[in-house]
Amino acid sequence: MTEPHPRRAAVTGIGVIAPNGASTESFWKSTQEGLSALGPVTREGCEHLPLRVAGEVREFEPSAAVEERYLVQTDRFTHFALAATDLALEDARLGQADTGEAPYSVGVVTAAGSGGGEFGQRELQRLWGKGSRFVGPYQSIAWFYAASTGQVSIRRGFKGPCSVVASDEAGGLDALAHAARAVRRGTDVIVAGATEAPLAPYSVVCQLGYEELSTCDDPERAYRPFTQGACGFVPAEGGAMFVVEAESAARERGARVRATLAGHAATFTGASRWELSREGLVEAIRAALADAGCAPEEIDVVFADALGVPEADRAEALAIADALGAHGRRVPVTAPKTGIGRGYGAAPVLDSAAAVLAMEHGLIPPTPHVVDVCHDLDLVTGRARPAELRTALVLSRGLMGSNSALVLRHGATGAS
Amino acid sequence: MSDRITVEELAELMKKSAGITVASDDLQRQYDIGFDALGIDSLGLLGIVGELENRYGTPMPPDAERSKTPRQFLDQVNSALLAGA
Repeated sequence: MTEPHPRRAAVTGIGVIAPNGASTESFWKSTQEGLSALGPVTREGCEHLPLRVAGEVREFEPSAAVEERYLVQTDRFTHFALAATDLALEDARLGQADTGEAPYSVGVVTAAGSGGGEFGQRELQRLWGKGSRFVGPYQSIAWFYAASTGQVSIRRGFKGPCSVVASDEAGGLDALAHAARAVRRGTDVIVAGATEAPLAPYSVVCQLGYEELSTCDDPERAYRPFTQGACGFVPAEGGAMFVVEAESAARERGARVRATLAGHAATFTGASRWELSREGLVEAIRAALADAGCAPEEIDVVFADALGVPEADRAEALAIADALGAHGRRVPVTAPKTGIGRGYGAAPVLDSAAAVLAMEHGLIPPTPHVVDVCHDLDLVTGRARPAELRTALVLSRGLMGSNSALVLRHGATGAS
Repeated sequence: MSDRITVEELAELMKKSAGITVASDDLQRQYDIGFDALGIDSLGLLGIVGELENRYGTPMPPDAERSKTPRQFLDQVNSALLAGA
């Protein structure tokens, strides 16, 4: 097959801060073991709210990871982004000395679905409790979707092309795709990903209106997509950042090419119109495969969106079959996010991180809490399944109607 | 609370509002160093001004938030406090 993109975008670094691990290594260990990090919502001010179970990040100490001057002016979702960026750059072996030499060659792309709710709530409480003179000036930037892109670029001195994708949960994949396009257009390095912190009281209240939200109080049963017991999704915080660079340049500098971002496409089918998301996903998958120059049979594993709403689960199972044909009924499908929850825009980036790690380890992580699958899917449950994995497909849908598909190739496969 | 803002209070506000820790005797020695070199951006300085206005119950001169150095800043805010006294 001809190579569709002469300047391939490689993933050379991954940094994860997730409910099941505040480093890429601990995230993978928990993910491949199928351990669940879902638990009661313990955040102050949330105790009385009807959301009972979530994926909280508990092993992360912001002050140990980020300088105080950045902490005072940023929300928790940006703390995650700053810390995950450090992990990703360290993984890619790109230090301040490397990026400092050519600051305009490094850019940042993030996606965010909910912005800085905790910071915003604190300042709004000052506004209505004490008056406008008591609102801190950093409120003007901290709550905003774009805060993480801005603060990552400022803190690391990156002056290359920067952007923010606001396209729902699926935005996490769109941000990685945007990074790949920037690299193909000539930027050396893009730090890309998504982090979210939707577990402050104000943010939780905003989510209570979603009929797809699971209010089940049992962490074992709250989020079980593709089963008869599916009763919605459990939200999560955290996320991941990737270092994306031109594959040739990465190999030249001796960096480890962990994967390539081979193809992507996105569609839109309307808020909560889950039946229609079937054709939206099919179109996204087909276009992503075409973008990657990839045949359906080449897909070795699918990381499902796995919303946990019966109608949406059915639409996704059918979409996989429609788009991949007979292969769609044989290909292993997994949804490790049932062990950590859905981190909105961060969810598909965490899935992409898991996909890269799965390809590296030749191991498909299981789908925690899910036992009896009621759809025609080969869903990996119980324990991780060994498999030779060269190509992974990651799917994502947003509550507001975005659908997105990303094809990732194993790093070693791309060696030319 | 004294009737003029000391370097100690400025150091405390720099930590509280901008997350920058500088010992007050170090700050005294760096009276003419730029706020930018100390790591305080314009929003950080604006936060310090707002905090002072709330503490002292009096508006600070508009130029206070445009001060480049601790010396300029203390001169500005203390002359405003003196004039208001």
